Parts: sequence; structure tokens; C-alpha cells
Amino acid sequence: MKDISRIAAEESLAPFDRAFFDPLHRFKYIGSGSLGGKAQGLAFIQRILASAFPHDKFPFVEVSIPSLTVLRTDIFDSFLHRNRLNEVAYSDTSDDFIAYSFQKAELPAEILGDLRSLVEQVRSPLAIRSSSLLEDAVHEPFAGIYTTKMIPNNQPSPDERFRKLSDAIKLVYASTFFKAAKDYAQAAHQDFREEKMAVIIQEVVGQLFNGRYYPQLSGVARSFNFYSMGRSKPEDGVVSLALGLGKTIVDGDRVWTYSPAYPKVAPPFGSAEALLKETQTEFWAVNMGKPPAYDPIRETEYLVKGTLSDAELDETLRHSASTYDPISRKISIGTGTKGPRAITFAPLLDSNETPVNAVTRTLLSLCAHAMGSPVEIEFAMTFNPNRFGFLQVRPMVVSSEQVDVHADEMKEVQALLASEQALGNGLIETIRDIVYVKPSSFDAKFTRRIAAELENFNRTLANEGRPYLLIGFGRWGSSDPWLGIPVQWGQIGGANVMVEAVLPNMNVDLSQGSHFFHNLTSFQVKYFCVPYEGEYPIKWELLEQHQTVHETEFVRQVRLPFPLQVKVDGRSGRGVILMPSHG
Amino acid sequence: MLPWGTFFAIYHKAVLPLTNLKRKTTPMISRTYNPFETAQAQFDRIAGLLDLDKPTRDILRYPMREYHFSIPVRMDDGIVQIFRGFRVQHNSARGPGKGGIRFHPLETIDTVRALAMWMTWKCAVVDIPLGGSKGGVVCDPHNLSTREIEQLCRGWVRQISRDVGPTLDVPAPDVMTNPQDMLWMLDEFEVIHGGKFPGFITGKPLSIGGSHGRKEATGYGVVFTIREALKEINVKPENTTVSVQGFGNVAQYAIDLIQRIGSRVVCVSSWNQGEKKADSYRKSSGIRLDELQAITDAFGGIDKTKARELGYELLPGDAWLEQDVDILVPAALENQITKDNVSALSKRVKIIAEGANGPTTPDADPILNERGIFTIPDFLCNAGGVTCSYFEQVQSNMNYYWEKDEVLGKLDTKMTAAFHAVRDVARRRKLHMRDAAYLISVSRVAQACRDRGWV
Repeated sequence: MKDISRIAAEESLAPFDRAFFDPLHRFKYIGSGSLGGKAQGLAFIQRILASAFPHDKFPFVEVSIPSLTVLRTDIFDSFLHRNRLNEVAYSDTSDDFIAYSFQKAELPAEILGDLRSLVEQVRSPLAIRSSSLLEDAVHEPFAGIYTTKMIPNNQPSPDERFRKLSDAIKLVYASTFFKAAKDYAQAAHQDFREEKMAVIIQEVVGQLFNGRYYPQLSGVARSFNFYSMGRSKPEDGVVSLALGLGKTIVDGDRVWTYSPAYPKVAPPFGSAEALLKETQTEFWAVNMGKPPAYDPIRETEYLVKGTLSDAELDETLRHSASTYDPISRKISIGTGTKGPRAITFAPLLDSNETPVNAVTRTLLSLCAHAMGSPVEIEFAMTFNPNRFGFLQVRPMVVSSEQVDVHADEMKEVQALLASEQALGNGLIETIRDIVYVKPSSFDAKFTRRIAAELENFNRTLANEGRPYLLIGFGRWGSSDPWLGIPVQWGQIGGANVMVEAVLPNMNVDLSQGSHFFHNLTSFQVKYFCVPYEGEYPIKWELLEQHQTVHETEFVRQVRLPFPLQVKVDGRSGRGVILMPSHG
Repeated sequence: MLPWGTFFAIYHKAVLPLTNLKRKTTPMISRTYNPFETAQAQFDRIAGLLDLDKPTRDILRYPMREYHFSIPVRMDDGIVQIFRGFRVQHNSARGPGKGGIRFHPLETIDTVRALAMWMTWKCAVVDIPLGGSKGGVVCDPHNLSTREIEQLCRGWVRQISRDVGPTLDVPAPDVMTNPQDMLWMLDEFEVIHGGKFPGFITGKPLSIGGSHGRKEATGYGVVFTIREALKEINVKPENTTVSVQGFGNVAQYAIDLIQRIGSRVVCVSSWNQGEKKADSYRKSSGIRLDELQAITDAFGGIDKTKARELGYELLPGDAWLEQDVDILVPAALENQITKDNVSALSKRVKIIAEGANGPTTPDADPILNERGIFTIPDFLCNAGGVTCSYFEQVQSNMNYYWEKDEVLGKLDTKMTAAFHAVRDVARRRKLHMRDAAYLISVSRVAQACRDRGWV
């Protein structure tokens, strides 16, 4: 972010004065260090919301950032220093051991009274979110790498609430040093020891329904869409919506994705049955009911998954569901009739009863303008009263380099693969290493093992400083091992180009989790989606001609004598990877 | 019933020096300064401000109960010696009594009475449900063996065990008593009553019923009040410098926390046991707590030579008071800021935080007020200790112990709430902090007496 926005961000903050819900100052801080990237982005937008958002245009929707207090990075420094945690933090020990060591440590005495007073006045769920120095920075986004913990904060005793809050803060601190973060830093060529963590304590936007606390809608919107289809243009952006907490979207699970320019146009599911199958069937909520087994080092300790039947019971489908009619085999808007429900958000997007889409578009435009680059925002919403909680903003990186990919090139003999659905923009001519999942031994039931094997390849190549092309089956970073290879970013972060070969029985919808997507764009990784039996199939035989550098049960690495030529045209979404003509 | 005057005349006779204290103890010496009279005078003034009725004044002006007893101890040489012990329970309208046990050769009943009354006010100002008590034994522990001290501790409990306890009156360490003494007392109490009663006494070692955070509590509590005072006068901690009198437990933890919130401590004084005088140590760039602790003995005495080697400037004992700083923290002895030396205070001083008991004499107080110095009165400023003692008692009664961050978090909110309650009264009634604090305390205790139907 520009310096000027950092200054603007600081101006909208107030020191924590032991009043968490303060209508005049929703945004407070404790300590004197940095706010971290995420909090800085929010503080900046807080100002924009106050000064530029046309609240009068949306009189029936309260658009605001949920109340929050930031523990600045000096508190993190004190916590590490006073508890002598540096040794364990920077060691190669397991995440659990690091988390446990952090749990045993003591938070700095000077913030305890503030935390105590916070839980004494707040009895609704809180999100304890990371906001590190490197997180959400423009070029190396550590988005989604660190832990966010939701706590119900509804225990009758303030002592209990205090303990849960401090446990959660310590977990977020510990996650700074988890393996995923260390791997990620290596991939990003960042000095890990420079990383510092601020923590955001924020009210969770939602309402209580039968022991579950969740928003009726959460969303991620991007002002630039690399996957634009049909009439929509990349500049129109893209929005993903889900019922319940935003974790569903961030994890890359099934959600409703649409172009904000054409909110009534459904994604191309092919049939009503396919739509029913491919849309959201479960949602995340904060568990406000029976306490779960004590497990302070698990991020989802207080989260619970609900089904659409649960949502039906909670009467929270009114704004999000359509109904499938098995006789006509059609989907009708709303829940007026009986039948299986599909989360399409049609009641909101088709009727414009509540201007969710208009608010989202306005915010995207405002944020993109204010930040001077395309942006990604996260939000959550409740109805009656209508409240649109703005949760996060981060800049997207869009390359302005112009590359043309012609249809002829895509069909060249030397073309290893080509795609009409390529992500990114630009030309790469530095890659000689190719790591690919062998088509002969691939089976969706082995995807977890494949992920583990890939991690070793990635580490070796990253250590050697070699960029590489990665080819696999299904969606990279999928949380569902049956839909793709469930890697975390750090496990494959050294790849400069990623290819997902889509098998016939896998979903062709490119809907990576928000953080995965953000990593792709920020690291300017080129991403190719190649239907297994499409017009431009992968020419595996071109790879097999080359000498194997290393091979495991499921993965093979080859090294070419000369670099590949990787070209992606971000405007058309076309891309091609050409084998070196010399070789 | 005896009139109060006659009642006290009998008490005074009872505490006359005992003739059989021949060897290792020093008989009590009567002194011209009577702290109880001072405490009563303070109370009278506040009672006037509150317009208290006569019965309320009468019940609060004197202790509700006093116990005077003899403690026989067979000394190491086989001879039995009788020590004089006291327990004064000033008021228990708000809850069981709370107060330390002092082992001091110059102990007087009037000192104990005054301290018991001040405990009532201190517990009330931080709004903990306890009354005020104090106890003592006329003795000099320096001249007693460990076994003799144990016998003295056990003997004290044997004499008073029916009238103290978790629901009646809860002792704690004080001048020249320590956690080990508390354990002996607890053990004796439990033997007598046939059970386990860890809530009988506080200041126990951490391993046997003590509370986390106890050693930090008083010093941290001082800083919590300073932090709030700085907000009141709209000064940021990072723009302030501090001078501290004393380098004992309270001072060291106060320095620890005040540096963490951003202030710079530039001067400390400490008692030099060898030369029987105090010295001040100054470092304009800010003292380093860890390096000073490394050259400090168990009584808080700093090694002069090593301090010089570390770049500290050695100054006379009372120089801490004359430093050009924003905050003064007297955290050692009473009667340190007096009418005679108050003019030596720098014009820069904005806050005096009374970490010690009674560091400012009554005649210096109006001068400080006139100069616009924000004084945080002792019984508010150093109430972190008793607040944590209360937490220890609560934990002991439950036999369930909290983590340190929980204790310190509660301590902070309690102290901060107390500070603001006093500040509010000060603002509304246009009083200085000391009077406002007394006003709150006395009115709370008076109200409890009324609610119980005592007056």
C-alpha cells in the first residue's frame, strides 16, 4: 500500500480505551508497533467508507467494518522475547509442539487488563485474526497462511472467556512459525525472521440460530476476473457467495460464483441436477452450543458444519436458496415449495430486494480506486436488520505486460499444452524443470500421498533456486482430496507455472480458495486449466523423451536442456507452453 | 460497657513494655508520633465531608475488636520467653478482615490500630469484599533462630485461632514476615481446626496455595494507576521519565512494567546496608533493570562499585526526589516527601505515585496540590498487593488456581476501575485524589454498616 494510505489508515484509529463497541471508534488498537497488513488495509478502508461510500444510496443496509481491536506487533515481540520462544519458534519442530509451547507462555502483563475488560463487555463470538507484516502486502501475500480462530465467547464466566481469548491469541502467534508459513516464506524469498504478527480481535458478523452463529451470506469479490466467461469482461470482476462463515469460500469449497455485471446469470452447470450437485450443501458456523473437546491448538475448535437441513431449521435460507423440482427438473427461486434446496442466492441476485450486488460493486470500485489497483474484498451479511460487514481488502496484482497468444501457436507441434482458460499474464522463459503427476499412476484416492511427494520436489527445487512447471490432475489446493490434490501453497509455492489437467469426472469449475487464488495472482504464477480430453491435450510424450532427474511413485521430474516458453494473454485467457525448439 | 476512653486506657496498660523480655527481643518503646491519632484525624475530616452521623463515626473511628496476648516460646537455650502479640480487627462490615502480621521490635498497638484502619479503607477503595485488620508481634526476627521464629508463628496462631480464619479474618505477610512464616501459621491453624483451610492466610508460597502474580502485584498495580493518571493528564508514557525511591520488590516490578509501557526510568535509590544509608543511581539514557538486578542483594541493596562500572552516576540517597522527571515513585519508606524538601522537586514533576505507605507527610500534601502535581494516594496506588491477596484467598477457598495472566488481567481491571471511581469523585466533588479515595472508602464501609443494621 502506498505511504499515504498508511498514514490515512493510522488517522482512523483510536487507542483502546476499554470500550470495544464504541459507535464513534469501531477501530482501536493496543500497543505501539505495526498494525500488520490486514489491519492496515481495514483501517484505510474504514476511512474510505466514512468519507466516500454513498450510504444514502443504500438506506436499508448498514455498511461498516465490524468493531475490532488490534494488538500491534510490539506485543508479539514482547511475547516472544519474555517467554524466550525464539528458539522453539525458529526450530524445525512440529506445529503442534510450537503451538503447545506458545500456549504455555504468558501474554505480556500490560495488555491483560485490556483483554480482560474486553471479554467483560463482549459476550458474542469473536474472530481472532492474523495481521502480519507480510500478510496482504502487495507482492508477497501471506494471505491464508496464518491461523484465524473463532471463539464463541458466550461462556457465563468472564474468566472462561478471557482464557479462550488468550488461548486464541497465542495460537495465532504460534501460527507465524508453523511449517506452512516457513515453506511459504522460502517460496516467496522472504526473510522469515523479519516477520511480525499483529492480531485483530473482531466481532463476528452473524446471528444466533439454534446454537449456531453465522452470517446468512458471506462473500469474496474481486474487481478483476481472470476467468471471465460469456459476456462478462475481466474488469467486471467476480463475486463468490456462500451461506455461513466465509471459510467455505476461503477453503475453496463449493460456492456460488457470478459476475457482478450480470448477477442473474448462473454459472454454466449444464443441468439443474448438476447445479444441485455442485452448489453448496454445507456451511460453517461458530458453535455456540455444547462445548467441544478442549483443543486450543486447533483452528476449528469452535466451528461446526451445518447442513442445508440445519439451515432450513434455522430459517436462514430465505435469501440464499432455490428449490429443485424433480418433476419439471427445474430450479425455482426461493423456498416456497418443498424439494431439495440449492444455494444460488437467486432471491437476492434476481430480485434485487436487498441490494447486495450493488453494494458489492460500489465497494469494489471504491476500494480499487482508492488503492490504485484491482482489489479483493471479503464481507459477511446478516438480514433484518440488514448489515453488510466489510471484513478485508487486499490489492490484487494484474500484470500490464501485453502478450498475444494466437490460435496457431496453441496447435503447434512444440506446444506441450495450451488452454483457453489460462490465468495470469505475461511471458516466462526461465523454466527448465518440469514436475508432473504421472498420468499412468494417478488415482484420486492417492491425492494426499501425491501432495506429500510434491512437497519434497518443491523443497529441493526451491533450495536450488530453480523455478519449475507443475502439472497435476484436478484442482490445485482443493480441500476435497477427491476433486484435486490437497496441497497447501507452501508445498508447491516454488512453481512458476501450474497446470491442472481436468479429468472427466472432476469439476471443471476453476474455483480455488480465495487465498490460493490470491497467491497465484500475487506471485504472478501462471495457471492453466486443461481439459484432459479437450482441444489442446497435454502431450505427455514430449515429457517422456527427457531424462528423469527424480522419480517417485506418483511424481516425475524432468529437466530440459533449454527453457520452456510460457505465454499467457490475460485479456483473452489464452495460454500456451512451448517446448524449446532447440531440444 | 466501658466508655471508649476507659477502654483504651486499659489497652495502653496492656501494651506496656514487658519486664521479662530479657534477651533477644527489644521491648516496645513508646513514641511521640501516634499513627492511630493521625488515622483518626484523617477519618474525622472525611466523616465531616460525608456528614456521617455519630454512631457511624463511632464505629469507624475505633477498631471493632482487638486481641492482645502473650506468646510463650521456648528458646534454643531452653529458656521460655514471652512475646507480646496483637490482632486488631478494625471493621468487617464488608467482609472478613484482611491484613498483615508484622514482626517488629518497635511495634505498638497504636501502629497496629492505624494500619488496621488503613486496611479497611484500602480494601474498600479497590472494592474487594474484605474488611481491615492488622496484627503484630513485638520481636526482632534478626535475633531469632529459624526454629524460634517457627515457634513464634505457631504460638501466634494458637492464641488467636478461634478468632481468625477464612470467614473471619485473613492474615498475610508484612514487615519482617514471609511466605514461610505464613505456611507455619497455616499448618498450626489446620492442626487446631482439624482440616485443610488454605484460605486462612495469604502470601503463601506458590507451591502450596500461593497465587501467581503475587510478587508482581503491588509494583504492577502502581503502574496501572500511573498509566491511567497519564491518560488523565493527556501525556503519553513514551514521553515521560521516572525516578523511583527504593529497589525492593515493589520498585523492581514497578520499573519493569513502567518501562514496558514506554516510560524511561532514569534514577533509582536503594538502601546500602553496609553504610546504613541510601544511595541514588542515575543513568539519563534509562536504567536497565536486568543489569541492576544482577548486582542487587536480597534486600534490594545495589552494589555501588559495580553500578559505577556499568555507567551509573552515584548520587546522595535523597537525590531521587530532585530529578528532573515527570513521575516520582516513592516505593520504599514513609515520610519521604515533606514540607521541608518538597521545594526540591523539579518543576517538571507531574505525577507522584505512592508505592510505599505514607511517603508524603500531611503538611507536604497541600503544597503538592498547589503545584498541580497529580498525587496517586498510597492506599489506592499500592492496593495491588491486597487485591492479589484477595485473589489468592478466593483461589485457596475454591482450591482451584488461576493462570498468571488471569490473575494479572483481573488485577489490572480492578485497579483501573478503582482509579477511575476515585477520579470521578475527585472531579465531581472538586477534591484531590487522596480525599476522593478516602471519601469513597469511608462511604462504602459506612454504607455496609448501615446495610447490616449496625448503625
